[in-house]
Amino acid sequence: MKIKHLIYIRRISQVLFLLFFLFLLIETRLPKDFFIDYSLEVSRQQDLRLEIPVTFFFDIDPLVWLSALLSSQKWISGTGWALAIIGLTLFLGRFFCGFICPFGTLHHAIGAVRPSTKGSEHVSRNEKIPAHKIKYAIFLLVMVSALFGLNLAGIMDPISFLFRFLAVSIMPAINIGIKEVFDAMAASDFKILSLLSYTAEILVSPILGFGYPAYQTGFFIGLVGLVILFLNRIRPRFWCRILCPLGAMFGLISYFSPLRLERNENRCTGCNKCMKHCQGAASPKPDIVWENSECVRCFNCQGVCPENALTFKFKWHGSNKPAPDIGRRAVLISLGTGVAFPFLSRLDGQIHHSTDARLIRPPGSLPEDQFLELCQRCGMCMKVCPTNAIQPSFGEAGIAGFWTPVLNMTIGYCEYSCTLCTSICPTGAIELLSGKDKRERPVRIGSSFVDRGKCLPWTANGPCIVCEEVCPTSPKAIVFQEGDVIGFKKEPIRLKQPYVNLQQCIGCGICENKCPVKGVPAIRVISSGESRSPKNQILLFS
Amino acid sequence: MNSHHFPISRRHFLKLAGGAAIYSLAPASFSANAKEDGRGFIAEGFSSKDPCDVVALTRKLFEVSGGMSKFISKGDVVVIKPNISWARAPHLAATTNPEVLETVVVLCQEAGAKKVRIADHTIYEARNCFAVTGAAQIAQKTGADLVYPLSSLMKDMNLHGRRLEVWPVFIPFVEADKVINLPIAKVHSISGLTLGMKNWIGAVGGRRSALHQDIHQSIVDLARFFKPTLTLIDAIRIMIANGPSGGSPTDVAVANRLILSNDPVAADAMACSLFKIQPSDIGHIQLAQKWGLGTTDFSQLNRYQVML
Repeated sequence: MKIKHLIYIRRISQVLFLLFFLFLLIETRLPKDFFIDYSLEVSRQQDLRLEIPVTFFFDIDPLVWLSALLSSQKWISGTGWALAIIGLTLFLGRFFCGFICPFGTLHHAIGAVRPSTKGSEHVSRNEKIPAHKIKYAIFLLVMVSALFGLNLAGIMDPISFLFRFLAVSIMPAINIGIKEVFDAMAASDFKILSLLSYTAEILVSPILGFGYPAYQTGFFIGLVGLVILFLNRIRPRFWCRILCPLGAMFGLISYFSPLRLERNENRCTGCNKCMKHCQGAASPKPDIVWENSECVRCFNCQGVCPENALTFKFKWHGSNKPAPDIGRRAVLISLGTGVAFPFLSRLDGQIHHSTDARLIRPPGSLPEDQFLELCQRCGMCMKVCPTNAIQPSFGEAGIAGFWTPVLNMTIGYCEYSCTLCTSICPTGAIELLSGKDKRERPVRIGSSFVDRGKCLPWTANGPCIVCEEVCPTSPKAIVFQEGDVIGFKKEPIRLKQPYVNLQQCIGCGICENKCPVKGVPAIRVISSGESRSPKNQILLFS
Repeated sequence: MNSHHFPISRRHFLKLAGGAAIYSLAPASFSANAKEDGRGFIAEGFSSKDPCDVVALTRKLFEVSGGMSKFISKGDVVVIKPNISWARAPHLAATTNPEVLETVVVLCQEAGAKKVRIADHTIYEARNCFAVTGAAQIAQKTGADLVYPLSSLMKDMNLHGRRLEVWPVFIPFVEADKVINLPIAKVHSISGLTLGMKNWIGAVGGRRSALHQDIHQSIVDLARFFKPTLTLIDAIRIMIANGPSGGSPTDVAVANRLILSNDPVAADAMACSLFKIQPSDIGHIQLAQKWGLGTTDFSQLNRYQVML
């Protein structure tokens, strides 16, 4: 095979995998044309499930597998793929970065289509710099941290990063921009415009999200992502070369790869073309030391060399030199911080003392310590949640749980019959539940309490009882009793006042969501009573 | 559906005219659909078999009432308003019976309707509701449109109600040629029962949770705005406890009954008997009669019955 063809294949593979990633990202949602056969409902348990393997990229991601294995000593289902990728990397080197990684492809495209520099300046940007060590330090930090029970992999894992960046920030932001146009059109008196707005919404919402989801810290997630994309202006594939812990993992494995760049110094004229097109800053030029661990297998150097001085070849004898440039000091620092982080992060007392009242995890979530061992903060549950209740946490889960999923009942609520988030969590931090499990165990995510200082019937402001109406359990967790209150003209009024039966309440939060008092509703859910934590119980028995 | 074209809002006019005293005289001027062909009608279908043949019962009921083509003309856009507010399986009786819904869709199509749409602004999340209640499957099977409560379909309109003025309205109901109200009969904690007129809360957007603060007047305001061609109350299974959401088979009773009328008040009033409640005990039925939306006196209507 000619090298030109290999480069074409690489490009096609990159584009296809990026499109596949975007497709799965978009498909991570409850579609509208979805139904279950109602005539079978009584005889057969049916739950809403996505039929497409949306976790594919997480399944093939060895960083997800290894960090989860170290932290929880659990073998996540589906990660056989990750081992296959590791096996191939042993053989081919960092081909994942060059051929598969959708985030790498984005960086590649931004850096290559319109480079910020030209000529010798561009060559110097593609030289290896000591900062390349950083990614190994990050990788080690993540692994050591994971070993001590805090899984930070997802913060910088490229798959989690890209998913979160697009699902929780970029797509909803575009959606909101479009919404404002739609709203203006729908409000117009020209029928054709309002009709168009409806048609457009029908076309756009399956792609960008139904009901215009909103996410707290979405601005920050977007900003970080955009800065990282911008870094390609400073150095092409800045992320892949300097920051990516998955790239570092592959770099370490590449040390054993027999696929090496064979260089003919006699033929080299020093034109620097290879340096100009090198994606990994792996020093392909014959007179400097080529770094197997930095090479992302883009095969550009071989393709552009006018003298055919560079060829990739399998060499089964001898070892790679040099070893990955990790740096002893960086290793020590990352070992130290990796040990320190898990324990420092527990200083907020979330695990050993009391849990934040706002820390309401999705149904099926593991106990908090195990949850933090597994959660990748990828945002899949946030994306798939049909009511937009699941949010990236800001302070609710402490520093350790930054960007992990929490439920915000003023934005959404946990739909009683829905168990979608439990079915797509790539690491099982949210355990798979059937609708029957969720209903019958029951799975509590918190408990609801009436704030009598705000509640309309309790404050003599009139009848309401919306919370009781929408309460999904049977018998209802929210009941009312008629009570006499004194009205504002001193007249006695008899009103139905809500009470919460904690033995029934599952903390779904629809009462809080539908309460006419907005902002800080008159009935609110706190995490207390959640079934995942034996410590966080209220009642002696239930 | 002309009430939103008044040059001066009725409420405004009444304020000028001296308010509440004149207000109570107003009902006579509101003519309900029920009187259009002289006398309205009310038809009851009942099956003594259990499980009953819902499709046959629904078809028979329309037959004795003169057939669907009496109400639906060729080329009509028909919008059906089931109650599918809750993501509950049909046997839990929180939502309109899918077999009734499907039969009505098919009957409309047979009568020559150009388009049949199923629309509801649900309380639980709409995709879950439509998928679980069977509505999505029916739409797929019959080719009816499923209209989701998208924000671009909510349009501010003046309802000219006593309590509700400008309010976002779910547009398909306004733009339809014919509207069929297809609720299920259930108990309700604050309005007593939820039948036909209460079902219109699912046809508006906005701050619906505030409607409970004056539920009966709100229902009547909405029932004055949305005047369906037909009301068909599904009482095949009815909810007798934990209403309106239920969730357990023990909340359900089997009544095997359907009530069809072009008088929204009469339909609701007749459904009261299923729960052994007097229509006079339900605030919004009383109020609706007072406002002239229909009658609770069945002797003013042609009555039909079907037994199966």
